[in-house]
Amino acid sequence: MRQSSIVPILAALAGFLLLWQAVVVISGFPPFILPAPIAVLNRFVTAWADGTIGPHLATTLLEVTLGFAVGAGFALIAGYALARSAFVERLLSPYLVAAQATPILALAPLIALWFGPGLVGKVVICALIVFFPVAIATMVGIRSVDARLLELGRSLRATRRQILTTLEIPAALPSILGGIRVGVTLAVVGAIVGEWAGAERGLGVLINLARGSLFDIPLMFATLLLISFVGIALYLAVVLVERRVVGAR
Amino acid sequence: MNGRGSLMARGVELSFPVRGGGTLPVLGGIDLAVPGGGIVALIGPNGCGKSTLLRVAAGLLTPSAGVMALDGAPIPGPDPRIGLVFQEPRLLPWRSAAANITYPLELAGWSAERQRERLEQLTELVDIDRSVVVNRPAELSGGTRQRVALARALALEPEVLLLDEPFSALDALSRERFDLELLHLWERAATTILLVTHSIAEAIFVADRIVVMSARPGRIVADIAVPLSRPRSIADLDEGVVSRTAREVRRHLGEAGDPSDEASLAAAS
Repeated sequence: MRQSSIVPILAALAGFLLLWQAVVVISGFPPFILPAPIAVLNRFVTAWADGTIGPHLATTLLEVTLGFAVGAGFALIAGYALARSAFVERLLSPYLVAAQATPILALAPLIALWFGPGLVGKVVICALIVFFPVAIATMVGIRSVDARLLELGRSLRATRRQILTTLEIPAALPSILGGIRVGVTLAVVGAIVGEWAGAERGLGVLINLARGSLFDIPLMFATLLLISFVGIALYLAVVLVERRVVGAR
Repeated sequence: MNGRGSLMARGVELSFPVRGGGTLPVLGGIDLAVPGGGIVALIGPNGCGKSTLLRVAAGLLTPSAGVMALDGAPIPGPDPRIGLVFQEPRLLPWRSAAANITYPLELAGWSAERQRERLEQLTELVDIDRSVVVNRPAELSGGTRQRVALARALALEPEVLLLDEPFSALDALSRERFDLELLHLWERAATTILLVTHSIAEAIFVADRIVVMSARPGRIVADIAVPLSRPRSIADLDEGVVSRTAREVRRHLGEAGDPSDEASLAAAS
């Protein structure tokens, strides 16, 4: 990353921290309502050092990764089928929209009931929440492939598989990656929601612990910030992949 | 008279289905012979089915009646012996110029080494600067893009080259130069050429024969020989026979229904 692009990012971060500190100083809220940024940072460092955070973070990352992979995997296949078959679209789209319109928060307890407090339930929730944006982006991307390029492929006797790999996927990639950007951040939301509905470990569990039995508000803030950093890191990873794959067009 | 790469249309008819039932006849019984190694220009009013006829010859459309044959055998579908250049370059925007040129070779399963060798020959054949082949289509000029499309069509050494108004997006001067280069290319690559065009001047300059089509459903209303010897040069366009030929083509186009393309009419006279 060039220097000119990192400067505004750091400036925005500094501005945010200053504002936070100012609110703490002016309002005079006690630390159990709003801890100062430096107190949160201290709490994060000690919690990381004594091994409080590590296992929770590892659990959440595993849930996010697996859930995203499963959800995006099915979404790519479904999105392609939706784009290329009017029958599949008529068959699936009502359920797709209905599933998306039902808040995942309302579904999470049911899924926890069915799959138990382990990994599987969280993966299911992540996959469900990731599915819709990636499937729609794939459908839109595949549908928007220039028919004239497909005719070119046909005139060169491209096989079904060659059309898919050399025309449809490259042409739809920018749109698909746009859906994946949305999906990867939603996967983090899904994992936390899933952990709230019942789990033994994970960053969502740590937030509940910090708020409840531990009553350690700086730890809660530290965990919240860590969750948003996980989201940002995953998002940036997708952006980097996107730049590599489609940036040069 | 028919060498390799001869095209023959016998009673070719084609109708497109229309929304709400019924059909729209586009080609109304086309009989046309293009001898191997010959150049024939197809000219006619807009929507007369010129491009459709070209797609039938390319194996992309199947005629509803009649037969389109290459070297005496019907064309069942797209064929490596036939190269097609579209009106617009139709390059894959995410590939470099080089990877666009070798795309047909890649689809046909050529090894990377053979592809590289063929690329070398092709860039030389269509006169593309070696330094620009790493660029993507968006970074190329319109003329270079069409050269890339031409190189791609020639990649598999076709016997027949079908050109659908290939230079219509270029300005008049570039177009003249491209027509001249097309003739040089034709001398070296020894392909049969069927050229769809809107320009009488282009048709006269390039073709042995000019075939005039009527408005839809397209029929052939005239088949006019161009009395110019080869090799040709731009200066030939000033010959008296050119304006006589142009007048004849124009007369048949008038009968065909649509006095299209005033600009090229002016250019030809």
